Amino acid sequence: MSPALPDLFVQPLRGILERLPSHAADTLEEIRIRENRPLEIGYAGRHGFVDQDGALTADYRKAYMPGREECRALLERVTNHSLYAVEEELRRGYVTVAGGHRIGLAGRAVLERGAVAHLKDIAGFNVRIARARSGCAAAVLPGILDLKAGTVKHTLIVSPPQQGKTTLLRDLVRSISSGDWNHPAAIRWGGRKVGVVDERSEIAACEAGVPTFDLGPRCDVLDACPKAEGIMMMVRSLSPEVVAVDEIGRPEDADALNEALHAGVRVLATAHATSLADVFARPVLARLAEDCVFGAYVIVSRSGGQVRYRIVAAEDAVREVKARSMPAIRSPAAQLEAQGP
Amino acid sequence: MMKLAGALLVLFAGTMIGYLQAARFAARPRQIRQLTHALQRLETEIQYGQTPLPEAIGRLAAIVQPPVSALFAEISETLSRADGTTVRECWDRTLRSGWSATSMKKPEMEAMLRLGATLGGSGREDQIKHIRLAMHQLQAEEVSARDEQHRYEKMSRSLGVLGAALVVIIML
Repeated sequence: MSPALPDLFVQPLRGILERLPSHAADTLEEIRIRENRPLEIGYAGRHGFVDQDGALTADYRKAYMPGREECRALLERVTNHSLYAVEEELRRGYVTVAGGHRIGLAGRAVLERGAVAHLKDIAGFNVRIARARSGCAAAVLPGILDLKAGTVKHTLIVSPPQQGKTTLLRDLVRSISSGDWNHPAAIRWGGRKVGVVDERSEIAACEAGVPTFDLGPRCDVLDACPKAEGIMMMVRSLSPEVVAVDEIGRPEDADALNEALHAGVRVLATAHATSLADVFARPVLARLAEDCVFGAYVIVSRSGGQVRYRIVAAEDAVREVKARSMPAIRSPAAQLEAQGP
Repeated sequence: MMKLAGALLVLFAGTMIGYLQAARFAARPRQIRQLTHALQRLETEIQYGQTPLPEAIGRLAAIVQPPVSALFAEISETLSRADGTTVRECWDRTLRSGWSATSMKKPEMEAMLRLGATLGGSGREDQIKHIRLAMHQLQAEEVSARDEQHRYEKMSRSLGVLGAALVVIIML
C-alpha cells in the first residue's frame, strides 16, 4: 500500500488492510468500504473479500464489515473534517486525496432545483489507488510520434474504466516533458512543454499546486480546473506544445479541443470506451473522430495482470469501424447488389 | 507583635480572595465576547474561504487571547495530526478538560459542545446556521454574565475585605 493511504483509515480497518497478503497489497487497485457490509478489495484485475485477519476470502459471509464509526471517521479524513469545503466534489461524487487516490462516494443525493446539489448520508466508499508506472509509456510513445513535425500526434487513449488510462497518460506526459521518446529518430528532440489540465486532480495529484507524481521537468498543471476552460487558459497563457486532458466526453470539451488543435498544440486525451466502435458511437467523440481530429488511437486492455496497448492510426481506425458496421447496416449500394439478379 | 503580623496576613489573604473572585466575574463576559468573535471569524472562514476546519480553528486561536486561545490551538493541533479522531470527539474532550482554566461557566460550554457535534459534518449553509445559533446562545449568556458582574463584582471585593476584618476582630 502506498505510504499516505493507511492514514485514511481508523482501527480496526487500518490494521486489517495492513495485514493484507503481499501479492494483493502490491497490486491493490480498489478498496471498497460499505457501511455494515462486507469489505472488498480489487487487485490485479480480480476482486476478493477481506476477513477479520486481513486474509482474502471468496465467501462474503466471512468478510469483515466496517461499522458506522469507521465510516464516519473515514469520511472526516477524506474531507479533512470539512464537508462544507468539498461541496463541489460531492456533487460530482468523488473526492481526490493526497497521493492522487480518488475516492468515489455513494450516499443519498440532495437535490436543489432538480439537480444534484451534494450527497448526504454517505455510506459507501470506493478508494481507487493511483500508481505511477514509470516506463509504461515507452511501448506506446514510438507509435504515436509525428516524425515530420518532431512531436506527438493528436492521440486519444481509450479503454473501459480501471484499465490504466490515467496511468498511461501520466507516464506519457512524463516521457514527453523529459524527452524520453524511446525512438532513434527522436534522440535530439529533447523534452517538450506539456500542459496538463487536471480536472480530477488524478494525473498530477497536486498538493498546494505542486505535482506529487513525477511529470518531468517541462510540465505545467492546472489543478482542479474544468477541462474546457482549462484548455483555453493553457493555450492563452502557458504556451504548451502538448496539452494532456483526462476523460473527455462533453460537448464543450470537443470545442475546446478543436480550438487547441488549431492553435498548433498537440493534444493527448483519454476517454471511456471499450473499443474503437464505441468511440464512433459516442456523440461527442464520434464528431471528433469523423473529422479526423485524432492522428492515433491507443486502446488499453487488460487480461489478468497484463496491460496491453494497441495503437491504431486514424485512417485505419475509420476503415476498421466502417468494415465492422458493414454487415449490420448495409450501404444502399450493397443492398442493391444483394437484390440484383 | 506576632498577633499584629497574623492579623495583617489574614486581612491581606481575605482581600486577595475577594479580588480574585471579582476578577472572575469580570472575565466571564469578556471571554464569552471573545468566543463570539471567534465564531464570527469561523463563519467567514467557512462561508467565503472554505478553509478546512483544522486550519480555520487554528486561525481562531490567533485572534483570541489566552486562556480561550489554548482551547482552539489544541483542537486544531489534534485534528491536523490526522490520527482518525473525529471533530466531535476532539472538540468534546478539549472543551471539557480545558473549560476550568477559563472563567466561563456551564451554559456557554453547553452551547459550544452542541456546535461541536455538527461542525464540519454538513454543507456550508447548514454550518452557518449552526454557528449563528451558537452565537445567539453565547450572546444571551454574555448579557446574563454582565448582569452578574454588575451585581457581584464590587460585592465580592468588599466581602473579601470585610470578611477578613471580621476574622481579625474575632481573633483579637
